[in-house]
Amino acid sequence: MNGKEGKSNTTGYLFILPAFALIISFMLFPAAFSLLISLMHYDLFFHEIYPVGLLNYATVLSDPLFRISLLHALEYTAIVVPVQTLLAFAFALIFNEETKLARITRATVFIPAVTSSAVMSVLFIYVFSSAGLLNAFLRLFGIHPQNWLLSTTWAFPAIMALNIFSTTPYFMVMFLASLQSIPSSIMDAAAIDGVRTAIQRARFFYVPLLRFSFFFVAVLGIIGSMQLFDQVYIMTAGGPGTSTYVPLMYIYNEAFIYDNFGVAAAASFVLFIIIMALTITQRKLIPEIRWA
Amino acid sequence: MILKSFRESIFPHFPPNLLPLVDTISNYIYVWRFGAFPLWYLNSVIIAITTTAGSVFIGALAGYAFARLEFKGRDVLFYIVLATLMIPFPVITVAEYIMMVDIHWVNTYQAVIIPSMVSAVNIFLMRQYFTTIPTEVEEAARIDGLKTHQIFLRIAAPLAKPAFAAAAIYTFLSAWNSFLWPLFVLQTPNHFTLPLAINFFKGANGVQIYWNQMTAAEVLSLLPTLIIYIVFERYFIRGIAINVNKG
Repeated sequence: MNGKEGKSNTTGYLFILPAFALIISFMLFPAAFSLLISLMHYDLFFHEIYPVGLLNYATVLSDPLFRISLLHALEYTAIVVPVQTLLAFAFALIFNEETKLARITRATVFIPAVTSSAVMSVLFIYVFSSAGLLNAFLRLFGIHPQNWLLSTTWAFPAIMALNIFSTTPYFMVMFLASLQSIPSSIMDAAAIDGVRTAIQRARFFYVPLLRFSFFFVAVLGIIGSMQLFDQVYIMTAGGPGTSTYVPLMYIYNEAFIYDNFGVAAAASFVLFIIIMALTITQRKLIPEIRWA
Repeated sequence: MILKSFRESIFPHFPPNLLPLVDTISNYIYVWRFGAFPLWYLNSVIIAITTTAGSVFIGALAGYAFARLEFKGRDVLFYIVLATLMIPFPVITVAEYIMMVDIHWVNTYQAVIIPSMVSAVNIFLMRQYFTTIPTEVEEAARIDGLKTHQIFLRIAAPLAKPAFAAAAIYTFLSAWNSFLWPLFVLQTPNHFTLPLAINFFKGANGVQIYWNQMTAAEVLSLLPTLIIYIVFERYFIRGIAINVNKG
């Protein structure tokens, strides 16, 4: 056994080599490089590159546009994450059957989740437009039609709704997977002990047993929500006005329109810190979750 | 919600007024002939398949190593892999774009494919699965004199087919639908992938967008996704299950 130690070491390293080569080149190195860039004035077009210390961070933090974008991101996260988590859970409970009908409906409900964000966004530009589906539907209730994406009050909620619609199925499947791993013997025992109604089952069993899933879904939800981009870029480009402006739009604009890669990098780090803070706070609030 | 997704699939054929079927097919033909649609489709296909193949294989190698091989620093290295999941992609993308400029990879296939082959999720998933495979077969093989890489290729990998399937599906979907990174990196319309093309498409007809054609384009770009999903639904859910049932 001892004679093989050296050999196993090399083999192990060889196996992980491709993965790590990629991770170092395309994740760790760029992250470090980003940090460096955030401390410089980096103008790609005119090739003006020189260090500027913390100037970029000062610019970012004092820029009202960035603050608005952060506010929007937090607003968005605060609404979308709980809603999609609860909806996903509810649907998972409902679909936790093995009937044919359940399987088919599961499949259909999942379609929004596998659709590309570009396709969903463009499709929903139509749905939300004056001649679109949503208005056709609301007209049944006598509500006046309008172009939802052109309204400063409704554009952002519209995007929220779109995302809830498209990511809830994904998280629903996660909950489903967890639900299905609960041995039915536990549920049978519980039924005998007097847990009859569905609500009781949910309260005393599903919720506690799925604690980890809740946490996982919530964390993923927060990380994803704070980085909202595709839908905003495609549907509203931050408008009308700045009502749908989000941090990633800010970063994109700074980098590709204003050619200020340094500022873009600084903004992305600020976002990084905020996301980390949110995630750590979540973990602190739920101490009994182990990670690995 | 369910109704909406049903409507979505029927919709390309029914704009506000019902139109005859002939019109519908002509929409698809129009879309196919528009701009560089076949080229865009091809771009997406090449990128998605290559990324998937590379990412899944590399992830399997690493996953197997973390699950079954012993080497110094194994646990630390694994935590590093997990930690990369925490880095939000804006931090990486800004620098990565500049890197692409510096090595002249802007507007190329490799710029989109290779950075996307990094996948902590795949490594994690493969490792999870490999730890559930009983070790007796591998031990027997080792006694029989097989070297590690042979054990991997001939024994472990075939046993891990569900994990491969799940990882492949995820990676393919993620690559096929990816928008932000291709948006940064691909600059000339000929090189676009389908999501970029659809975004481009929406602006190309000016203010008046022909929704019939738009939706036809979207359906076409959804086709692989839907096919894969319908065929592999079971594996899909199992893949998520492997990830979620950790706790």
